[in-house]
Amino acid sequence: MTGPAAPDSTGHPANGLDDIVHQRVRLGILTIAREARRVEFSYLRTNLELSPGNLSQHLGVLETAGLISIEKGYAGKRARTWITLTDAGSAALAEEITQLKLLISRIDRADTPPD
Amino acid sequence: MTTEAAYPGDDPHRLLSDTRELAQRVRKAQRATWFPLLVFAAVTFASIPVYRYGGIYHFGTCVVTGPGLRACTIYPSGAFVYWPVALVLAYAVIAAFYIRRSRARGIETRVRPYAIAGIVIAVALTGAALWELYNSSPSGPVGLHGLGWRLATPTCAIGLALLVLARAERNRALLLLTIAYLAAVLVPVNFGWVMDPLSRWYVVPRLVIDGSVLLLGGIGFALAQRPLRSPAP
Repeated sequence: MTGPAAPDSTGHPANGLDDIVHQRVRLGILTIAREARRVEFSYLRTNLELSPGNLSQHLGVLETAGLISIEKGYAGKRARTWITLTDAGSAALAEEITQLKLLISRIDRADTPPD
Repeated sequence: MTTEAAYPGDDPHRLLSDTRELAQRVRKAQRATWFPLLVFAAVTFASIPVYRYGGIYHFGTCVVTGPGLRACTIYPSGAFVYWPVALVLAYAVIAAFYIRRSRARGIETRVRPYAIAGIVIAVALTGAALWELYNSSPSGPVGLHGLGWRLATPTCAIGLALLVLARAERNRALLLLTIAYLAAVLVPVNFGWVMDPLSRWYVVPRLVIDGSVLLLGGIGFALAQRPLRSPAP
């Protein structure tokens, strides 16, 4: 698993962003998974407007990084794939949000014209 | 479709606001606030016959207040059986409903903390009510007039568990409704009626008020959440 770049209190917040999490779709997957106990593949596909292949690719990246766990099973005769956020995934998402907020405040400060 | 459809733009403002919007959308899809409210309204209204017809009044502590007179703490014994059983069953039904519904939608809700908190609160307050029955002063406010009694009522247990649900669902509207409901439960509302504390109808007006708040709240949430409950084909 890759973590965020070494946090540096004096460095730019962009250095604290994790390349795996700092990606629009993967951030969306982690966000949805955080809100639920488990989320089904089809729910993610519909809500993130992705093709099955594309979603599988992103899920693979997140699973390899240990940020989600994937469970396959059946509901009746229908095959289902459930995604659960791991503790590492929860921490990585929280870190990403923190870094994004830091980045935004830095951009806002830079945009503010001096008196 | 491409991934761009979900989150256009790499702007951190946009990423963060899209993340928040997505989280809110998921929370709204998970909510079924109307169901527990309607279940508890039904449980509250169903308790009325228990108070009216169910079992003899139980006497707790008694003190002699004068020649041939004594004051006692009282509670209808049927209610001590009805409420714990009804509340545990209600939480089991609510948990089953949430799990079934969320599985059908493809997003599982964390309903267990609410159901467990509800059962723990119900059992704890039943214990507190029993303690009150045998330890409170009968020369103080009689029946359910005292705050201690009202805190230890099953209707208060419902309200406290609804606070947990409001937190679990991050539902501000439910939080406001629960505060209003707890105010109705804890503040002695009286529209001028005078009733004998020994009357079997004594607690009925309170139960009607409490049940009505839950019923109206349930109907309101059912109407507000209707579009989400009926996904487009």
